[in-house]
Amino acid sequence: MNVLTDAWGWLTTSANWHGSDGIPTRFVEHFEYSVEAVLIGALIAFPLGLLTGHTKRGGLVVTSLANVARALPTLGLVVLLVVVMGVKFRAVMIPLVALTVPPILLNTYEGVRNVDPQLTDAAKGMGLRPWQVLWRAEVPAALPLILTGFQFAAVNAVANTAIAAYSSFGGLGRFIIDGLATTEYGEVAGGAVLIVIAAILNLLFFILLRRIFISPGLQPKKLAG
Amino acid sequence: MISFQQVGKTYADGTVAVAATDLTADSGRITVLVGPSGSGKTTLLRMVNRMIDPTSGSILIDGVDIRSKPAPELRRGIGYVIQNAGLFPHRTVLANVMTVPRLLGWSKDRARERAMELLATVGLAEEHAKRYPFQLSGGQQQRVGVARALAADPPVLLMDEPFSAVDPVVRKDLQTELLRIQSELEKTILFVTHDIDEAILLGDKVAVLNTGGVLEQFDTPTELLASPKNAFVEGFLGADRGVRRLSFFPSETVPLRTDPIVTLDTTPAEVLARKSEQPWLLVVDAGRRPLGWLPEQRVPADGDLQKVPAGDLVSYGHTFAVDRDTLRAALDSAVLSPSSRAVGVDPEGRVVGVATVEDLVPVIRAAQNGSTPENGR
Repeated sequence: MNVLTDAWGWLTTSANWHGSDGIPTRFVEHFEYSVEAVLIGALIAFPLGLLTGHTKRGGLVVTSLANVARALPTLGLVVLLVVVMGVKFRAVMIPLVALTVPPILLNTYEGVRNVDPQLTDAAKGMGLRPWQVLWRAEVPAALPLILTGFQFAAVNAVANTAIAAYSSFGGLGRFIIDGLATTEYGEVAGGAVLIVIAAILNLLFFILLRRIFISPGLQPKKLAG
Repeated sequence: MISFQQVGKTYADGTVAVAATDLTADSGRITVLVGPSGSGKTTLLRMVNRMIDPTSGSILIDGVDIRSKPAPELRRGIGYVIQNAGLFPHRTVLANVMTVPRLLGWSKDRARERAMELLATVGLAEEHAKRYPFQLSGGQQQRVGVARALAADPPVLLMDEPFSAVDPVVRKDLQTELLRIQSELEKTILFVTHDIDEAILLGDKVAVLNTGGVLEQFDTPTELLASPKNAFVEGFLGADRGVRRLSFFPSETVPLRTDPIVTLDTTPAEVLARKSEQPWLLVVDAGRRPLGWLPEQRVPADGDLQKVPAGDLVSYGHTFAVDRDTLRAALDSAVLSPSSRAVGVDPEGRVVGVATVEDLVPVIRAAQNGSTPENGR
């Protein structure tokens, strides 16, 4: 109860909403880091997932790569890279990207690979070229799974950007780190609340994406209900 | 016309899927490839739209080698229907049917108009156009598959076990529909099935393939049934090929008797006179529709049919339509009837005459020795 009251007090202190270390600035930073991590991860993982899923080759490489990336300890990696590289943007971005790659890669690969072979056969047999088969048949049919992969990646990014703040970088994690350092528990709890809000916004964003991009033909329950 | 010239397929491990095969599928006709699994029938079909490349020989469509243009272009000019339709799950029925016309660069309006027209052709209501594949039954999905294959009006249609995954009742409907559509459109159809009954029903010509892609016999269904070339073909056709072949002969040659037919108003004297010659009398109503058979021992002594309780009439089983049913239907009608007599009716269901099993024998004999039968279907 006490902590929550402190958090409320901290959140409602006007001074905390201004300046280069104010809540809005940190929020935007957090958003920027997360988006960037997902985009870079997608740039690496999405084409690789499409390629391996479409050709049904390289499955072992994909799953091994994803598992290795998933097994990396974020905090350890952040600290290590900061020590080696200094406090640079890349030192934080590398571990974040390492966490966004596996879900995008695995889900894209599995989604495309498991598209009904009758669908791809019919598509090819009707005269679609290989890239048309991929973009007009395989990707739309695998989109629910692919979007789930992106959502996991985004959740990972939002959560771990907070951890990355440990390396004296920005983002909402700063409030927790700094609050702990100065035993300002209101700030710690307030930061935590803000991270939860960021996660919820992220969730809502993906619900919206699903509504817009996934065909009703792939959402039987919605239409039936 | 599709010609296979010494077409063969041998896989890298030495497995022969198709032995060197010569085969011609005539224009505007249905050619069926039938055989057990491992007989290379699907491989042969998939070679035509280059889904599989043969390792020897060549395939020509209307004299042009299929390798003369890029595979995607070739495929857009060939209709392709597969077992579970393979519809795009994320697209509406309408959009599915519009696929190939759109690939060919038709305008949206023209493609949509064409698609709506085809949905009607394959027997789907307008309201199905906006639905998604998962909202349709298997049979309806297969109809959409056929409409989609016909969309750009290709001269050639490849059908790979298109009706194998639906239940027998729906399959029968789809087969009938295909024959109806074909009678209007006259496509060159190559049809693969493992079901010999389907092959005989649909095929203008049937190619029977054996394991290892060996073509055992290529003939019209009736020739196949009359004179299978070897034990394999004979075995594949099954034990009732003689009876089955009768379905290619019309029943109009069956001699029909009218003397066993009586109405409820026939005079008692006449009834008694008929009874002395006929062991069974067929009672018909005023509209000449059959009521049932009356065995002679149940005919009232005074010949007054009005006295006969309805329960004394014996069921006549099923009738056969003289103008459109086949000899097989006539024989079946006689076999099933307790009186061993088949009842022939006109299109309105009015009795034309009856025939005993014995009456049918000479007609059947003539058919089996027969010249070319008409296609009775």
